[in-house]
Amino acid sequence: MRYLRLYACFLRFSFSRAMEFRLDFWFRIGMDGLWYGVNLAFFWVLYRHTARLGEWTYDQAIVFIAGMFVVDAVHMTVCSNNMWWLPIAINKGDLDYYLVRPVSSLFFLSLREFAANSFVNLLMAGGILAWALARYPEPLGAATMACYVALLFLGTFTFYVMHMLFLIPAFWMHTSGGLREIFFSLEHYSSRPHRMFTGWVRKALLTVLPFALYASVPAQALFEGLTPTLLLHVAAVNAVAFAAMIALWKAGLRSYASASS
Amino acid sequence: MTLRVFWSVLSTEARKRMSYRVDFWLTAVVQFFAQLGVSYFIVAAVFAAAGGATVGGYARREMLLYYVAVVLIGKIVRSSEMEHPIAMDIYEGGLSRYLLYPAPYAAFKYAQQLGALMPSLVQLALFGAWVPFVLGVPEGMSIASVAMCAGAVAVASLLQFLLIRPIQAVAFWADNVWSLMVAYRFGGAMLGGVLLPLALFPEWAQRVCGMLPFRFLFAFPVETLLGRVTPAQWGVGLLTALGWCGVAAAAGHIVWRRGDLQYTGVGQ
Repeated sequence: MRYLRLYACFLRFSFSRAMEFRLDFWFRIGMDGLWYGVNLAFFWVLYRHTARLGEWTYDQAIVFIAGMFVVDAVHMTVCSNNMWWLPIAINKGDLDYYLVRPVSSLFFLSLREFAANSFVNLLMAGGILAWALARYPEPLGAATMACYVALLFLGTFTFYVMHMLFLIPAFWMHTSGGLREIFFSLEHYSSRPHRMFTGWVRKALLTVLPFALYASVPAQALFEGLTPTLLLHVAAVNAVAFAAMIALWKAGLRSYASASS
Repeated sequence: MTLRVFWSVLSTEARKRMSYRVDFWLTAVVQFFAQLGVSYFIVAAVFAAAGGATVGGYARREMLLYYVAVVLIGKIVRSSEMEHPIAMDIYEGGLSRYLLYPAPYAAFKYAQQLGALMPSLVQLALFGAWVPFVLGVPEGMSIASVAMCAGAVAVASLLQFLLIRPIQAVAFWADNVWSLMVAYRFGGAMLGGVLLPLALFPEWAQRVCGMLPFRFLFAFPVETLLGRVTPAQWGVGLLTALGWCGVAAAAGHIVWRRGDLQYTGVGQ
């Protein structure tokens, strides 16, 4: 309850701050809107030359990418701004301010700033997903849909954990970005259907670098049904990744030496 | 600005860039192979599903060569785009010191952009060296096409600088232009042929892309390198790109003059 009240304060401050910079507010909405358009156009052009891509039809690919928009929009709204500042705070010693607070430092640093402008994009992404599901030719049951939405939210959690795993090395790297650029490069794999990849690359995308768990695996569960094995796999990968993140965070805090980090 | 000063700025920036540490090169290697990996699997999946020998006029090997070339040439053309140095100078007030320099600000920044692409040139040599051994040399590629490509890349680099200058100058009015630069990158990647060769687009979309400047940043130099552009088409393309340079320079000049009038010199 205490954490919920705290989060309500974060929301209030974030919205009032966003309203101060009206031009920037619209720039970010436009940026994400363009990213949606580019990705939809990408699949539209590609499917003009093939009926299937990684075993999926055009309609399935559109549902998949729309799901990815929602996962990305949730991340952009809830965590992204905070994650941008995290390595900078570590590097400059600004972390001190958060470590002395009587709440979890990870909670505070991950959720402090809510991106109100990206919230508009979340609505937009939700609209695109609703459109993609409505135009999908096969019937989709309510239970399957509920599972899909739950897996998408789990995918958002995976996104957060993976992003953190690439940022926390800033404690040791003495750079203002950690491994952020590498994360952004590898992230391209999350916006393509995982069935398109083969061999060890596909295996890696489902386990050690679980980018396929953001939106591709949830889409697979939507089209083919959620099996206990798949559910167990998603849960296990998320549990291991989260445990690794917590362990790395604690190790990072132990080696943190304020401004000299 | 004299050529000597221009060269001095360029070489200083190049030395600065080359002194980056291990993480810079680690990032460069991962970026290159991650981008190429995604492209490789897209090409493999499309050709496997389509079943034909060619897709959009490209054989499988040619399309892979296209992606390798567009990744490497794209790095040179984009240079330090995402660092938005002009916007940072405006926003943080750093522009003031340039006002005292006996050289135009735009020429100074362009020299820095050229210097900043030194690591990309090294990457081009390192990452491009294996291509002929793995994928072979494209049939249409020749010494002439390489020379023509070098000319197209030089104009593309200038065009890139002139296109991002007015976008970054929005920092005179806005708090943060990062989103605008990312939006420009997304749009440029799609319409310039980075994400997909423009030959895969429908006819009408190819005509639209042909009229926009983005094609001359990426697809045109790459198609020239692969020998898919005749000398006559190259000449017309280069002139059109230079025409776009003129339009972008004029737009940049107007935006800059308007913004300059309200610059306070202490940061926005």
